[in-house]
Amino acid sequence: MTIFENPPHGRLRAGGTDLMSLPGTGPYVDLRDLPGPSGVTWQPDGSAHIGALTTIAEIARDERLRAAYPALTLTAGALATPQIRAVATIGGNLLQRNRCSYFRNPAFSCHQNGGDSCPARDGLGLYSAVIDTSPCVAPHPSSLAMALLVYAAEVEVHGRSPFPVGSLYGSDPTRDHLLDPGEILLAVHLPPPVAGERAAYHRATSRSEAEWPLVEAVARVTPDGAAAVSVGGVARVPLRLPEVEQALAAGEPMEVAAGRAASRCAPTASNGYKVTLLTATVLEVLEQATAPS
Amino acid sequence: MKITINGVPTEADAGPDDVVVDVLRDGLGLTGAKAVCRTGVCGACTIKVDGTPQVSCLLPATAVEGRAVVTAEGLDHPVQRAFMAHDGLQCGYCTPGFVVEAAAFVDAWREEHGDVAPPRERIAAAMAGHLCRCGAYAGIYAAIEAACRGEHDSGTTTPARVEAVEKVTGRARYTTDIRHDGQWEGVIIRSTRAHALVTSVDVDGTTVDLLPPDRIVRYAGQPIAAVAAPTRREALAVAEAARIGYEPLPAALDDTPGAPPVYDERTRKKAPSSGEGLTLPGGWNGNVHGPFTGASRRAGTAVKRIEAARRRADPLLVTGTYTTAVQVHTPLEPHACVARWDERGDLHLHLSTQTVAMAAERAAKRWKLDANRVHVVAEHVGGGFGAKAGITVETVAAVELARACRAPVRVVLSRAEELTDAGNRPGTRAGIALLADEKGDLSALAVDVHGRGGVSVGSAVALHARLVYGTAPRRLRDFDVVTNEPPGTPFRGPGAPPLLWALEQAVDEMAHRLEEDPIALRRRWDGNPKRRALYDRAAELPLWRDRPRTGSQTGRHRRGVGVAAANWFYAVSPGTEVELEVEDDVVVARTATQDIGTGIRSVIAGILREELGLPADRIRVEIGRSGTVPGPASLGSRTTTSVAPAARDAARRLRAQGMTSGTKVVGKRRRDRGGYVTPFAVQGMAIGRGFSGAVHVTEVEVDTRMGTVRPLRVWGGIATGHIYADRPARNQCEGGIIQGIGYALYEERHVDPTTGTVLTANLEDYRIPGIGDTPEMTIHFHQDGWDHVNGRGVGLGEVSTIGVAASVANAVHNATGWRPHDLPIRPDRLLEGIRA
Ligand SMILES: Cc1cc2nc3c(=O)[nH]c(=O)nc-3n(C[C@H](O)[C@H](O)[C@H](O)COP(=O)(O)OP(=O)(O)OC[C@H]3O[C@@H](n4cnc5c(N)ncnc54)[C@H](O)[C@@H]3O)c2cc1C
Ligand code: SF4
Ligand code: FES
Ligand code: FES
Repeated sequence: MTIFENPPHGRLRAGGTDLMSLPGTGPYVDLRDLPGPSGVTWQPDGSAHIGALTTIAEIARDERLRAAYPALTLTAGALATPQIRAVATIGGNLLQRNRCSYFRNPAFSCHQNGGDSCPARDGLGLYSAVIDTSPCVAPHPSSLAMALLVYAAEVEVHGRSPFPVGSLYGSDPTRDHLLDPGEILLAVHLPPPVAGERAAYHRATSRSEAEWPLVEAVARVTPDGAAAVSVGGVARVPLRLPEVEQALAAGEPMEVAAGRAASRCAPTASNGYKVTLLTATVLEVLEQATAPS
Repeated sequence: MKITINGVPTEADAGPDDVVVDVLRDGLGLTGAKAVCRTGVCGACTIKVDGTPQVSCLLPATAVEGRAVVTAEGLDHPVQRAFMAHDGLQCGYCTPGFVVEAAAFVDAWREEHGDVAPPRERIAAAMAGHLCRCGAYAGIYAAIEAACRGEHDSGTTTPARVEAVEKVTGRARYTTDIRHDGQWEGVIIRSTRAHALVTSVDVDGTTVDLLPPDRIVRYAGQPIAAVAAPTRREALAVAEAARIGYEPLPAALDDTPGAPPVYDERTRKKAPSSGEGLTLPGGWNGNVHGPFTGASRRAGTAVKRIEAARRRADPLLVTGTYTTAVQVHTPLEPHACVARWDERGDLHLHLSTQTVAMAAERAAKRWKLDANRVHVVAEHVGGGFGAKAGITVETVAAVELARACRAPVRVVLSRAEELTDAGNRPGTRAGIALLADEKGDLSALAVDVHGRGGVSVGSAVALHARLVYGTAPRRLRDFDVVTNEPPGTPFRGPGAPPLLWALEQAVDEMAHRLEEDPIALRRRWDGNPKRRALYDRAAELPLWRDRPRTGSQTGRHRRGVGVAAANWFYAVSPGTEVELEVEDDVVVARTATQDIGTGIRSVIAGILREELGLPADRIRVEIGRSGTVPGPASLGSRTTTSVAPAARDAARRLRAQGMTSGTKVVGKRRRDRGGYVTPFAVQGMAIGRGFSGAVHVTEVEVDTRMGTVRPLRVWGGIATGHIYADRPARNQCEGGIIQGIGYALYEERHVDPTTGTVLTANLEDYRIPGIGDTPEMTIHFHQDGWDHVNGRGVGLGEVSTIGVAASVANAVHNATGWRPHDLPIRPDRLLEGIRA
């Protein structure tokens, strides 16, 4: 494919569910024309590679993925809406833009679109990140990235060796992922599954369906008792919470361990509730993932 | 590119930048799929691609090349009949999207589970990507359940409303669907400043000036000019390239006393009104207008009693401050107008309006035409809720652009415009004091309300407290605080929801102080016999009798039940007429009214069937056009009560004359016994005698961990007399409950505090209730007490929604012991409240 050799002239487009909702126009380069990176391929060691163009709906309903990586499939099944999941791809999900209402409003410019300030900081702060690590306070939107963190999954980008999914993200306030323009994500590599793993996903919203989370969390508990927890809606990047995991490993009661999620928070006058919701959501997924079935 | 659309191989002219919804609607004239949010949230644009429902507003045209696309127009599925039978729709604008998705869901469900109804949660999850602003969710659940049970696989369906078949097949034409040959698209250029003098407007192309005479813009989003071009994309590009010179003025973006003035002495007289009709008189103090105190009774006595009670710390003095957020109408069909001047100089408007007749009248006046040279058509209207009255800016823009460009021009507001500057219910801050005497009777009431309707005045909230709970002394003061924010407009029951939010919670609090059942207290205080009948019913409900004791629960999930009462006017258009004409063997009914989702077509058809003994296919109702006999505006809950008696009169006249082809009769609405409260009709409307009433009993479950409130069950008792068409009437009342729940729990317009820009400019950030937020609803109609009214029934659109939010709040209090004071009851507020 020439697209791999020459930097493509245009914006890479997978399902388009994010791209087409943003201001700006083409030209677009449709990735769907690429052969290969769609669907799940199972490796000899039992692990899965998920092609970047695999839709979220395919991931949510794949029986084998569900058994192997329940934290991923539960998250996939709970995000957005059925119509969006049918089209949106895992690659697009990992590389989508944030949902800050300033960023998406043409009346404003900010760090994320060529400006040099963050109007959200002096403005509506209700939905801002409560873990403040960047001049931009838009929570990272990708639910799937959050879920992939509990598996320490890796991503395969054309021309590079696989690297951890977490390294796609950073505190750079000008962008939501660190790939260079034109770089193509090919696949997500998961580690071999652990038999008997249990998982839970929860999002805190005001309405019952189809709302971006105020806070979301996912937990994965393996039969050896080890727990992995990550959260979204609270920071510039999807975040794994080793402090909670270690506290659990040290035998702290779940409520106390969940409370440790608050340690990194620096709430403002308007988003202090996110600290409460964060610990509540972490506790929720821990309880669900460990409840007697 | 080649696409198979509804089974037909089609060659579509589409570029890689196009999205499918535009290719279908503008390119191929398939207007079933609607573009509502364009951000993938509402589902109105849903189509099937190779069998899978997808949103076509974000779908690149390249993605359907060589695929099989099915739109509502091409769907032939039992679920469409189920939507018709169970009235899963009102205005119908969301319906094509819903049925496409529902069809796929029903097929998959039956394949997997057989012909059984799915649990509600499964339906909610499957329909999560669809929004219905009318709140027809109860009917939608019923329809999908019935279709899953296989009840509509064959046979004919008696639709609950006569136009349902057009709506479920995507054939119903709304204003946004109109496309004339040679039509241009108009776009409005809006202010990016909250307050500024516009010094220059520099645009390449034909423009129409939309600035006020003083050339000052007073809110971000205010129209400056309009431009047109052959396509919307070109028009947007012209608008984008426009250079507007501003001389900034300091903006008032909060209600602090030192805020810069929005108006001066001259311009404030021109301030628009957020109320229905007249602006209440009152002086000005900076940006504060008012108070209007004219609704008080023995205000001095009320204040003296309350002050004395305060000094002695009387436990029967209940006080509190309650606030409400700005709520936006956001009908799914945005404001839209297609204007065309014909060769004779007549003006033809397709208009998404609640007022075909008034729009024609005002257009004639504005453009100096004879009344019979303006022709307004609004065949189907995708909701309004009060925001689509008279001539609004899209109409001005379309008409003047059409003249300037010598071409028909369509102006359709974007969702961002609709959510910014197309109407809202102003936010309020209410201080209330309620005093009972030693007998537990109401002794005094004081209500001060500051309405914040942006640049508009006319907040009329406290005054609604004149008409409730007897004649005890009361001081009622209404103030406006103007700011450089978009203006409010009348919204379903203007003024009442904020008053009831405060008052009905205060009354609830009083019941607790008196250790009295909150329904029993209301029954004692409320003199309205119709509402008393509702209280009696409500008190007997197991839902009410089995409610928990307030504050008795300590677990994570707490259930609570709350009640609220509501009072509303009975308004009517006394001059309403209905014309019947026999065309061969079909009776055609006409009147200058419109169906915005209320079901007035079905009311008229039902009366004709009954009076003339005709089958449905021999009746045709032609409404949604000016230029026929006078009909009511769909404002003030007056459509049905005005039209139905005139229709009956017409039918009886026709019966008397005999139904020979060509016969024409006109029926009138006879005057009510005892006449009306208002001596003459203002803008065609009179206030009739008697008040309508509602009582809502609401059950919620509060999740104290996550801070959420889930409405479980709502009983709505409605006392509006005779019900003309049962299912559509229930649907209205159910939708009223849904909108009340939205007001209570989710809806809130946010404005950037620095620039005055509306931030909730899409349907993701402005949150309206979804199907999963729908409680189980029971509607009870109390049909007595309106014998003096011609037809014995009055309107219910407003009374059925205004008290709902307060009933939710009282239920939350019953569940948790914490009383919400600020709307909406967001998770952050609830978590903070119950932890305090
Ligand atoms: C109503 C709604 C609710 C939503 N809720 C959620 C939610 O709760 N959680 C959540 O995580 N998401 C949510 N989303 C976002 C949705 O998941 C994303 O829009 C979607 O995953 C993007 O995938 P896509 O294939 O459509 O990407 P596109 O829109 O095609 O692309 C998105 C971005 O990724 C780039 N890109 C895509 N694929 C590649 C690739 N292979 N290599 C390099 N670059 C690439 C594109 O250039 C573009 O910048 C929601 C969206 C909607 C509309
Ligand atoms: S939070 Fe980020 S995206 Fe939002 S305005 Fe600030 S810099 Fe821009
Ligand atoms: S218009 Fe496409 S989802 Fe709303
Ligand atoms: S019927 Fe659903 S929006 Fe009106």
